[in-house]
Amino acid sequence: MTRDAWDLLPAYALDAVDDLERRAVERLLASDADARRALDEYRDVVAAFAVEADPPAQMRDAVLARLAGTPQLAPPPQAARQTGGAPAPAPSADRPRRRRWGLVAAAAAAVVAVAVPTTIAVQEHREAVRWEAQADRVAQMLADPEARLVTAPVEGGGEATALVSGDDVLVSAEGMPDAGEGHDWQLWVVADDAPVSAGLMPAATGGVSRALVEGGAGHVVAVTLEPAGGSDQPTTDPVLAIES
Amino acid sequence: MAIDPAGPIRQTDRVPPAMPTPGSADSALVACVGADPSVFGPVYDALAPVAYGTSLGVLRDPDHAAEVTQEVMVEVWQTAARFDPARASARTWVATLARRRAVDRVRAEQSRRDRDQRDLDASTGGPAHDVVAEDVERRLEGAAVRRCLDSLTTTQREAVVEAYYGGRTYREVAERLGAALPTVKSRIRDGLGRLRDCLGVARG
Repeated sequence: MTRDAWDLLPAYALDAVDDLERRAVERLLASDADARRALDEYRDVVAAFAVEADPPAQMRDAVLARLAGTPQLAPPPQAARQTGGAPAPAPSADRPRRRRWGLVAAAAAAVVAVAVPTTIAVQEHREAVRWEAQADRVAQMLADPEARLVTAPVEGGGEATALVSGDDVLVSAEGMPDAGEGHDWQLWVVADDAPVSAGLMPAATGGVSRALVEGGAGHVVAVTLEPAGGSDQPTTDPVLAIES
Repeated sequence: MAIDPAGPIRQTDRVPPAMPTPGSADSALVACVGADPSVFGPVYDALAPVAYGTSLGVLRDPDHAAEVTQEVMVEVWQTAARFDPARASARTWVATLARRRAVDRVRAEQSRRDRDQRDLDASTGGPAHDVVAEDVERRLEGAAVRRCLDSLTTTQREAVVEAYYGGRTYREVAERLGAALPTVKSRIRDGLGRLRDCLGVARG
């Protein structure tokens, strides 16, 4: 996995990785100074594509005017700096309170995990698993005799199940409403009260939304409604929180 | 027009070297940490063209690029304390911030379009971010990396350019090029590696 993350450093420097890969690379960066140095070099390469151009003249005054009411942030803690810190989004007014996620974790933990015969899980999921890139992993999970199934309610009436196998979680949510114009359902892995994006929930087929959350096992997997394309941090309360 | 030898020396070269020596932009950026916003003027003047050029390369639309640039320059002010001159030049740091925001915007737009126009794509001529070869040549004019692109194989160059200008994940690049995922990952890795060597980028 470490080797895989190393191989992804150039794509990461190009912002050409998905959310899960980004997390894998950032874990590597947090612990490996050589990886950070390699990333810095790739970022210099990517920056060499940029051709400087003068922005519209009126922008200068607009930016300087905005700064008057914009406080500067303190330097990041060491860990954040090590991952490159730079692209971390600035907090905004709608940034959620961390405390809320502590409550989510507590509530989800109360859901009882039920061991079920794997054959039932297989029947329930096999038919629906269509996306090819993840098919191999999902097939492994479905065949895993150690797999567990956990259920939790979806706010508004539906129900979700999580098939937990190894490090990964296969989430199936029934009765999730359509995200609607300009929005997406976004998955989060909540460890230590800190939500980390696990990507967008694929569109429902046959009334059931399914998503493979790699590395989600042992944590709370949550779903929130976010602006189209997703957010860096949740901006709404979760409609589903499932302790895997 | 005569050049006044006593006049101020102006920097006219718009193509910075790949590894600039710590310059005025770096020190101006460091100096604005904890300072009054009034000192941000020189930082803006030195770095807004990098942010705008980067955004324009990815987004192409001048209005969208201007919006992203404005957000980036406010972020530069807000997060100036995170700039670490030991790890990046101010130019690279700002280009990184701008690229991240521009790519986020492309992806959000893409996801909206996928939902709204799943059935219409064929009739509307496909996504707006097709990467066209002659277009790329034009966009690369003046880029420090241009002279080095010849050191790449055709397939490496294709993969890197698709990822850079299309704002795509390497997974999407693989789909577009009809190539295997590991193949495209290697092309991007080897391509950026060759560019790094050609540009003489070396840190640490």
